[in-house]
Amino acid sequence: MPQLAALLRVARRLTFDPVSAEDLVQETMLLAWRGFHSFQTGTNARAWLFRILFNVFHGQGRKAALASRPVPFQDRVAPGLQEAAEIAEALDALSLEQRTVLLLAVVEGFTCQEIAGILDVPIGTVMSRLSRARQELRKNLAPLAKEAHR
Amino acid sequence: MTDDDLDQRVRASILSEEVDTSRVATAVRNQIQTQRRHVRGWAVAAAAVIAMVLAAGLSYRAFRKEVTPPLCVDAAEDHEAEIVKGEPRRWLTDLSAIQALAEQQGVPGSAITALATTGYRLERGRLCSLTKQIFLHLVYTKDGGELSVYLRPRGSESPFDSSVREASVGPEDLAYFRTDRLTAVFVDEQSRAQALAFARAGAKVL
Repeated sequence: MPQLAALLRVARRLTFDPVSAEDLVQETMLLAWRGFHSFQTGTNARAWLFRILFNVFHGQGRKAALASRPVPFQDRVAPGLQEAAEIAEALDALSLEQRTVLLLAVVEGFTCQEIAGILDVPIGTVMSRLSRARQELRKNLAPLAKEAHR
Repeated sequence: MTDDDLDQRVRASILSEEVDTSRVATAVRNQIQTQRRHVRGWAVAAAAVIAMVLAAGLSYRAFRKEVTPPLCVDAAEDHEAEIVKGEPRRWLTDLSAIQALAEQQGVPGSAITALATTGYRLERGRLCSLTKQIFLHLVYTKDGGELSVYLRPRGSESPFDSSVREASVGPEDLAYFRTDRLTAVFVDEQSRAQALAFARAGAKVL
């Protein structure tokens, strides 16, 4: 099933709950299957899937997602990947909007234009959120970097 | 740390996480199969309903055909012989003679002229036998076409009711009804709509 891993990866960082993330992706895939007639051939299928994912996520109630607490990173990363865990923790500390654009741009490789389409926001908003997300991430990672230098 | 360095580290971090998609994939496949079965079930049910409706329609047509009154069958055969094939018969063409003949048979002479007020012109008339009963056979014309009207005083045995009904016997289209005074059958081999329209107009004036 194409894009399932990518959708699940993003969903986990939206919901911070493995079960909710799986439910979100399941709902996304079913909606995509049911609404496949509405997909325009020649357009970006990945972006279309992610757009459905975010629509479902926002439809399910963003407040609940924001109230969620990140699960300890040890539950998500393999032991020994200390830096990966620290970056993941810093990423999870970002606001939902910043985390979202960073994941879509950096991890999933979407362009700002595509992200604007997925999230239904102006491209300028995407660019500013991405810039602030990087700044925030650097700030969050700074203490960890200092510790690493000691 | 440049943006590229940061992006690379973030990407490496997130992509290093294990993502188990098996549960979601199984759940999605199961749901899709369930919905497909559901859709197939509906399709089968819809096909069954359509088949039943078609069967009911065909049965109804067969039923209608079976119950075409014998009088209509005889009228159609008479129209076929006398009008379509033009087999030689003695006809009256004079209106007063036709009206006198009608009166003898208990059909009001005014009925003949009343029918002519509906846009049809009386051409000729004679008596004929349908289901062993004497009927006045009138031929009206309109737009070059000839239509037969069979009239008889209504008896208690009239097989028709007061609403105008349709029937087909071979190439002939028929419309028939009864009024308080008359039993009437209209026959046209060219247009069912015309036979029906003439009969409906006739039902108002007979």
